[in-house]
Amino acid sequence: MKAVKVDKLVPGMILAQDVLIPRTAVTLLPSNAVLTVEMIRRIASFNINEVFIAELQKSEEEKAEERLAPVMAQAHENAVNAVREIVTNPEDRLLEEPIIAGLVGELLEHVKMDASLFLNLTHLKTYDNYLFSHSVNVSILALLIGEQLNYSSEELNQIGVAALLHDIGMLKIPMEITHKAGTLTPEEYDEIRKHPIFGEEFLAANNMSKDIRAVAAQHHERFDGSGYPNKLKGSDINYKARIVALADVYDACISERPYRERITPQEALRIIVADQKLYDPQLLKVFISTMAVYPIGSLVKLNTGEIGKVIKVRNKQPFRPVVQIHFDREEKLLEEPVRLDLSDEANHLLFIKGTLSTSEHKRAMDEIEKRPKK
Amino acid sequence: MKAVYINPFLNAAYNVIKDVAGLEARKGELRLESSPIKGNEVNVVIGVTGDLTGQIIFCLTEETALVLASKMLFALATDTFDELAKSAIGELGNMIIGNAVTELAGKGYICDLTPPALFIGRNVTVSTAAAQFLVIPFEMDIGKLDINVALQESAPEDREEF
Repeated sequence: MKAVKVDKLVPGMILAQDVLIPRTAVTLLPSNAVLTVEMIRRIASFNINEVFIAELQKSEEEKAEERLAPVMAQAHENAVNAVREIVTNPEDRLLEEPIIAGLVGELLEHVKMDASLFLNLTHLKTYDNYLFSHSVNVSILALLIGEQLNYSSEELNQIGVAALLHDIGMLKIPMEITHKAGTLTPEEYDEIRKHPIFGEEFLAANNMSKDIRAVAAQHHERFDGSGYPNKLKGSDINYKARIVALADVYDACISERPYRERITPQEALRIIVADQKLYDPQLLKVFISTMAVYPIGSLVKLNTGEIGKVIKVRNKQPFRPVVQIHFDREEKLLEEPVRLDLSDEANHLLFIKGTLSTSEHKRAMDEIEKRPKK
Repeated sequence: MKAVYINPFLNAAYNVIKDVAGLEARKGELRLESSPIKGNEVNVVIGVTGDLTGQIIFCLTEETALVLASKMLFALATDTFDELAKSAIGELGNMIIGNAVTELAGKGYICDLTPPALFIGRNVTVSTAAAQFLVIPFEMDIGKLDINVALQESAPEDREEF
């Protein structure tokens, strides 16, 4: 139990004691009440200074998430390490379809366990080599899209493998270019644009199947014919390559790169939609509805002023995700986040007012990531 | 109905439509009509309880609703008024009323709301407890939005006393 000032109350907190109307014995709110916006407003209207809040009680769903989170994080890390192992040690002959398929099988299992938790991990800052975590993230996103398309497990595995290996041609591009912090010269850019061809050659040399090679070769082709290397158009582009194109662009946007900060998830969606002629319209629709209006990892501001991170999106309720409140209404970082399910009827007076801008997002994320762990 | 509790709805509708859809809504001439409210193709009903009681009903054509929804859903024009579009319109109603309720609280009216209910179909009529309701017509470049406000102050003896 702890005393909390009324202006620091957040919906979802639970009263540890009855709240009485000042100078009376009349109960305004009973203990154990889960605070709603409305209740907080009432408490404030009586000029009450502070109330006693119980230690946060966790829902079964939240407890399950807490048990799963480390498992998911481990799976993500394992996958990133495995990709590094496979592609940097060609002499070990790990680049074989069954080995990669096993890896993707594990990813898929975790996507099915809790896609939201897994997607949260794609937002982790990559202190490591971008290529490896990007490959894993694109594979996760492609698996999610594949699931929406009701892919069979065989097809899911194919797209997962293809996505995992889509950028493998990058390994043939000199590090000075792939890790350059500034803008690329036209010559360097031409060099980068060879990675789909390198990738295809590499995968063909390792006897990978047709779709997997096609995804590496065509993931930079664009639906309107403006892509590279072959300016393929529309249905001439391999279908799985069209899926990976979306996953690739999205993850590239939300990742921090040597030459720019990460872009917010919602801004990434906006960028993709603004250039919608580049993508298969049907797939774009599937992708947007999968990511929803406030994609996982978005920082959103509530109408009451608190700022939280979207951690779970429920089907058919794109405007009412589960958020983790990190900042109170004065934008002070909370000691520990409060989970708030906007789809819960008790919270219907709350709504998302908007998302943070890219610079606000960066500042807030830095603060959240630096918060001492309890 | 008093201006003091109508104005918050005017302000909220104007601000929310501007924020989420980037549209400038022009307010038309307010008028009083008698219950029941005759709906449009898409109708969002939200109940109000507390110091004020009654209903707020948003009425618009499906075409207008679709454009508004698609603006809230990344301009990805949904060609049909599907589940996603419906949730967008419900949320729009929620945002407008939520804003209005916040402003009302500042004026001393503490109200609670029911979650928005969506009714589709031209022949919807809503009978309100109040004999008369106020129509707030908004004109946007993409069509009209009528906000019907049927509110009355709760009799003092009905008010929750704390």
